Amino acid sequence: MTIRPDRRTEPTQLRPFSSSQNLLNRCDGSAQFQFDKTAVLVSITGPTEVKFRDEKLDRASLEVIVRPLTGLSSTKERVLENVMRSTFANVILTGLHPRTSIQIVAQVMKDDGCVSVGSAAINATTMALLDAGIPMNALVGSVTCMVGKEDGEILMDPTMEELSRARSIHTFAFDSASRTSVMMDENGGKGTSGGVVLYSESTGDFTEDEWWLYKA
Amino acid sequence: MPSTAAQIMQNVVLPGDPIPSHTGDDTTIKLGPGLTQDQDVITSMKAGVLNHLEGSNRWWVESNQQRYIPATGESVIGIVCGRLTEGFKVDIGAAQQALLPYLAFEGVTKKSRPNFLVGALVYARLSLANKDMEPELECVNPATGKADGFGELKGGFVFKCSLGLSRRFGPLLRYRVWVTSTNGCIPPNILVLIFVRPFRNTSLMDENTPILRFLAEQQIPFEITIGRNGRVWITSGSAKTTIMLANTLQNSEYLNERECREMVRKLMTMQ
Repeated sequence: MTIRPDRRTEPTQLRPFSSSQNLLNRCDGSAQFQFDKTAVLVSITGPTEVKFRDEKLDRASLEVIVRPLTGLSSTKERVLENVMRSTFANVILTGLHPRTSIQIVAQVMKDDGCVSVGSAAINATTMALLDAGIPMNALVGSVTCMVGKEDGEILMDPTMEELSRARSIHTFAFDSASRTSVMMDENGGKGTSGGVVLYSESTGDFTEDEWWLYKA
Repeated sequence: MPSTAAQIMQNVVLPGDPIPSHTGDDTTIKLGPGLTQDQDVITSMKAGVLNHLEGSNRWWVESNQQRYIPATGESVIGIVCGRLTEGFKVDIGAAQQALLPYLAFEGVTKKSRPNFLVGALVYARLSLANKDMEPELECVNPATGKADGFGELKGGFVFKCSLGLSRRFGPLLRYRVWVTSTNGCIPPNILVLIFVRPFRNTSLMDENTPILRFLAEQQIPFEITIGRNGRVWITSGSAKTTIMLANTLQNSEYLNERECREMVRKLMTMQ
């Protein structure tokens, strides 16, 4: 049994997380998701009127805005916006509401410096989409993990202290476990036992084989 | 997977969950809101309670949301936003504004068109609702050709509620409640519910939403119109009563029958 800096006992254990829905009353759906001291509040508006420029004839256009904890949004937020847009474009049934817009606004409420803001934002968006009643074909769950420098051990949802010993950091988003077969075969059974990987972001030093292992 | 019908009835589903319908046999199943078919599998696309009607083999997901998605035949409350050559532009809270043609009123001719000002409230029925087209409204019952309570709502007060709450107010959408005078032919203190718009089911005693019955029992005269788009228009003798009624209805969303009764009782003693 290992003891991690914040007294977690298992490498796969996540920090205590919580979520609450329907916090804002002027949008169509909202939710906050929190990994210990990282929290993101997401509001959903839509399907609503679309700007002529963004109008798509056969589906709803997805607009994602990420607001940082302080200051103006920078490249980091733009990256997360793009990630969230491409992740949720596969999950939201946009074809059911053509020529409309679905706006997702994520506000970082608390950030303790761990890289899990992206994961929290994706999880919060799923909860907010549920609250808004936007039709989806699956739920999305996201988690961040790291690989230790010395022992190569995979730690889920690392803290700041653990991250200083990281060789590589990986963020994954999976869809809910309803359809599992897609990834299984093509990589010699190394695929996930959960859902399909919708998004993966990795930084640090790792090989392709290791990536498949971490994903599992 | 729960096996008995009662358990399935109360089944909570999330988006992507497969629905345990009998896909093997030849029976036809009808899918309602919140469900979608993907090849052989029927999956839920909303979070809610899965409902099943045994006789006609209908399945649907009962869920709640704020944003209105127009559906043909539903009655909504809209705000007139502008006038075009063929009709009014009406905001019904959906993604697009709806069109209310000048000729979609009872006994209207090209010469006698209704004259609503911008900002007027209208109670209308969706005659056309399609995801690819702009919704269209009418202020006339297509079966009878009569207005049947549709038209402008004058005075009163509008509040917004969730679509689930507006649905739970029952199939009846517009009614007046008042107490008869003691010298009338109806015995005193008996409530007369005048249904402005007759509907299949004229019961105020909706099991899910007893709040209207409790308010009616308080013998306050009021008139209420419920739009399926989550807008509720209410009017009564005084502004104070109207606001009290509006707050009561809004607060009733997550209360059970006993709590609703208690809330109404408390409000009455405060008056």
